[in-house]
Amino acid sequence: MNFTIRAATREDCRDISRMIMELAVYVKRPDQVKISHEELERDGFCQNPFFECLVAEVPEEHKSEEGFTVVGYALYFYTYSTWKGPTVYLEDLYVMPEFRGNGIGSSLLSKVAEVAKKKQCVRLQLSLFDWNTPARDFYAAKGAQDLTVTEGWHFIRFDGQSLDNLANEAHSSSAEA
Amino acid sequence: MASFILRRAEPKDVSDILRLIKELAKFEEMEEKVVLTEKELLEDGFGDHPFYHCLVAEVPKEKSSDEYTVIGFAMYYYTYDPWIGKLLYLEDFFVMQEFRGLGIGSEILRRLSETAVKTRCSSMHFIVAENNTKSIEFYKRRGAADLSSEEGWRLFEIEKQDLLKMTSK
Repeated sequence: MNFTIRAATREDCRDISRMIMELAVYVKRPDQVKISHEELERDGFCQNPFFECLVAEVPEEHKSEEGFTVVGYALYFYTYSTWKGPTVYLEDLYVMPEFRGNGIGSSLLSKVAEVAKKKQCVRLQLSLFDWNTPARDFYAAKGAQDLTVTEGWHFIRFDGQSLDNLANEAHSSSAEA
Repeated sequence: MASFILRRAEPKDVSDILRLIKELAKFEEMEEKVVLTEKELLEDGFGDHPFYHCLVAEVPKEKSSDEYTVIGFAMYYYTYDPWIGKLLYLEDFFVMQEFRGLGIGSEILRRLSETAVKTRCSSMHFIVAENNTKSIEFYKRRGAADLSSEEGWRLFEIEKQDLLKMTSK
């Protein structure tokens, strides 16, 4: 099947938002999606974008059942390792089910790897749910290591009330202990 | 008793920041993994496109037993969750041993969460090694959730040589 991988434009945000929701449904958390294409347009295409995105596109004659030609995406941003330097963090990688098995996922990942290389990033990181075997197999085949298993890293989060509580306790810049 | 200030790091702080990065790595028994140099820290943090932001904790010269006045730091940057938007990601957070127990760590964490709220971040994320029980307790006491234990999140990494394999097509 013919497809192209290209950088997303503002106009792609509706398609990306649609696929973000599809991925959220797949990982069983659709109620947790709080932002729409508007926030994506604002945050991804401003002066200092918070993320970058690649999309996979098929020609008209291969469009999906509902008529979509943008059939996959990879959303990533740059992070920093105090040990090794710049890193690419792959936040989302998704291909619509009816378009899988055509190398689109691999091509998206390869393009992200090219971006990493250009920006002199030393590694790529991502996170997955432990039950997501197809994804774990996909990344393992590309050389990914599970650092939670091998090095014991755990993800920690402060959000909602706990974040507000913490922020409201902030003192002025000088403190006597 | 010790008084301290928290302020944004400046280019002149890079050698202190690298020293503290190495001390933290030593604490995690991974000191040899720090390959970053002062030059890279300077370019990456204070160039055209900063990859990180940094807060430093400083004590007055007379309170420090050796010549260092920068005795703690926190390095963070902004990430993006396609479900909720901007997040503040805390990469490194460290206070020198002799300055612990004085509320410096707590104040750094509060300042970061204030920054997160001010910049419209939905949450603050970071990773912690599971054997670092003291740190995990510190965060849990303040309301943090361990997403790896509670929701099954696992961190994966593809290193440079495997990344390059994917680009050579």
